[in-house]
Amino acid sequence: MNELLSAEGIGKSFGTTRILSGISMSVAPGEPVGLFGPNGSGKTTLVNILSGLLLPDTGTVRFDGKEISRLPLDARYRLGIARTFQIPHPYPALSVLEAVRVALAVNASKRKEDDGTGEDGGPTGDLLARTGLFNQRFVPCARLSQGCLRRLEFARALACRPKLLILDEIFSALSAADEADLTALLRAANRDEGTAFLLVSHNPPLLKSLCRRILVLEEGRIVRERKV
Amino acid sequence: MRNAAPFRGGWPAAGIGLLLFFPLSSPDAFFLDVFTTGFLLAAFAASWDVVGGVSGQITLGHALPFGAAAYACALLTSLAGWPLPLAVAAAIVLAAAVGAGIGTLSAPLAGPFVALLTLALGEIAHEAAVGNTFFSGPGGYAWGGEGGIPLTLPWRDASPFLSYYAALAFLCLASFGMLRFSRSGAGLILRAVAGSPITAQASGIPIARFKRLAFTVGSAFAGAAGAGFALHVGRATATDLSLELSFQAATFAAVGGRGTIVAPVVAALVLHVLFQGLSLPPSARILLYALTLLVTLRFFPGGVVGTARDLASRIAGREGARPPGRHGRNRNGEVAR
Amino acid sequence: MASPLPQILLDGFFTGGTYALMAAGMALILGVVKVINLSHGAFLTLGAYVAYALADRGIATPLAAAPLAAVIAFAFGVFLGKSFVNPARSHPFALPVGTLACALLFEQAAQMVWGPHPLSIDAGDPWIGPGGLVVRRWGVVAFLSSAVLLWGLKRVLSSRPGLPLRLIAEDEEIAGSLGMDVEAIRYLTFGGACAMAAAAGALLAPSGAVTPTMGRAPLLLSLVVVIVAGMDSVGAIFLISIGLGIFGSACAWLLSPQWSYVAMLAAVCLLLSARPAGIVALAGRRD
Repeated sequence: MNELLSAEGIGKSFGTTRILSGISMSVAPGEPVGLFGPNGSGKTTLVNILSGLLLPDTGTVRFDGKEISRLPLDARYRLGIARTFQIPHPYPALSVLEAVRVALAVNASKRKEDDGTGEDGGPTGDLLARTGLFNQRFVPCARLSQGCLRRLEFARALACRPKLLILDEIFSALSAADEADLTALLRAANRDEGTAFLLVSHNPPLLKSLCRRILVLEEGRIVRERKV
Repeated sequence: MRNAAPFRGGWPAAGIGLLLFFPLSSPDAFFLDVFTTGFLLAAFAASWDVVGGVSGQITLGHALPFGAAAYACALLTSLAGWPLPLAVAAAIVLAAAVGAGIGTLSAPLAGPFVALLTLALGEIAHEAAVGNTFFSGPGGYAWGGEGGIPLTLPWRDASPFLSYYAALAFLCLASFGMLRFSRSGAGLILRAVAGSPITAQASGIPIARFKRLAFTVGSAFAGAAGAGFALHVGRATATDLSLELSFQAATFAAVGGRGTIVAPVVAALVLHVLFQGLSLPPSARILLYALTLLVTLRFFPGGVVGTARDLASRIAGREGARPPGRHGRNRNGEVAR
Repeated sequence: MASPLPQILLDGFFTGGTYALMAAGMALILGVVKVINLSHGAFLTLGAYVAYALADRGIATPLAAAPLAAVIAFAFGVFLGKSFVNPARSHPFALPVGTLACALLFEQAAQMVWGPHPLSIDAGDPWIGPGGLVVRRWGVVAFLSSAVLLWGLKRVLSSRPGLPLRLIAEDEEIAGSLGMDVEAIRYLTFGGACAMAAAAGALLAPSGAVTPTMGRAPLLLSLVVVIVAGMDSVGAIFLISIGLGIFGSACAWLLSPQWSYVAMLAAVCLLLSARPAGIVALAGRRD
């Protein structure tokens, strides 16, 4: 199959509450997909299952042909699935630069060691520049504004050169400038590096402008699939 | 933001210089001994900081690798007749292995449960040591119990001067090693795991493996300190595995400032030399340690270093933006989440 | 020599039932205040020493000692809860280490005041039952007192006065937005739970030796009980406590008291390694 990510028959309940039932969906390589749905429809649960934070009760998740349903979050990151959090949990004691270095550390063997200050076009510096954080690289993460935290989430996710980005409401409650920058960043990642993404949002115009296909989730089921 | 500020270059050098010259002022052998044990305990405190400060894994059983190494030295030299250097090396390896075991067991657990598990493991070891009369050594005395097991040392009576300098050298070397580790790439990852495990996981870090690494490295250094302690005292005793000792390590780190490696060393030296130097009985000492800890936690949560940083930034006039303390609190004192 | 089994069962039954009072206190603290109180054992010890002090002055009845111990412990517990536990609640480091500090503080203070040696309370002659079974009067009284108090707790928790506690255990934000003084309820609950531990200590004092570190094993026992029985059912806590009391009694009789302490330690390690849902839920709530 030509699918990068595919989920089949995903079901999840918490106690007696059924959150998701029979979710089957897929993302093709390089495809920008949107996930839309009202509050309580199960978007975040689905994202958590696809990214490895939660185990599904039923169903399977496949990535690049391999079954990954039970792989944890960090293993999926190393495979090339990166996710961002709607509410970031920044490192209280690290700077922006250090936070990015942590994300890069995983793949350090794949590239030469960089000097650690983020200068001179090393991978750290690149990432910081792309996400507009270069000038704040020594700022402690805990002191970042919401917009900068989202940028940091982006930088962290992009650090592994992911094949698939799963973005959970990354554009919500952002200033116009931040939103413009980050949407440009996302488009560039998709266009230049062929990064597929699954964007969760409840902003229809944004989804339509960024995605080629939109899945609509309602009460734990995919009720509609629209091509843009 | 590096862990640099209050210990810019000069202070440690001055401190070490003072300590180097101290014995030359002909102090009482008692005080030399107090400092010697102080150096070893300071190294022990730093090793706690690797696990509980840098890596955020609160362990209340750090005496376990410390005492395990002490007992290993005793058993290997006195029972198995091993040469001392080999016994010490084996003891440190054992301590590291113990740490790896503790790390494996505690990796799936969150904060207070790690504390509980490590406390229980330490107490099991302590009870095993207290309750066990090992075998009869030469001379017919039973070994084990509270009195512990003697080491067979190649020297008869160590000179207090030599012990002092050897312990000081060990402290400097060990602290240097731990400091390098905490500032390495692995140390950065450990601090990330401590600060926000979920973000670290989402950055591809295998949390369990790094937690185990923290315990292994911290326990190895604890074992080195424990072996040194056994060498100095000439015995491995059950107090080397006690909850009170584990508690002291956490206290030293909290009072100094967790995560800095150096501050726990200084706090350990100051507190130990003070309390032991005043010849206070063990009960009173532990009581004072407990009081010191409670006062620190309540009024100076970042320890000496954290409080100094807060003061420094306030003096520097950045009133509106307090730098994050140990737990990344913002201006309103809320934890940054 | 007759089998010691019935004696073991009887002794364990009575002491276990009394420990249930302490375990229920631990459950309250874990559920409502959401901390692991490592000083819980010290409060039990406090109760035991209060009983001893009273006995020393001629009042050798735990029924008088228990309420006094409870009041003293409540005062200390509220103080601790208000000044330390509540402010430090969100700090993963401060609480386990701080409550341990309190425990050690008390242990050492007790040792300085009363000495490290075991003390005992002369509680009068026991009844000799069928088959030479020794039935200690105060063991029965302690058991019954504990059962009555726990029954009362169960009634309170399942009725209106207990609603704030259950609500805070479930969802603190909702409780707060309903106008409940969550902070006050927390430190009052903490104080109450410590009082329960002290009452248990006073009730248990006649049946064994009073030493400064006597609270360590019961601390672990109450943790095991809460992990196994959960925090929801007082009845389950009571039953599991009895079970563990019998188990501890067996260990102490057949092996030695140290072994029963080691058994509790091992139980804690095993349970934490196996990670029953209760722990995961508590850990999950903190994040």
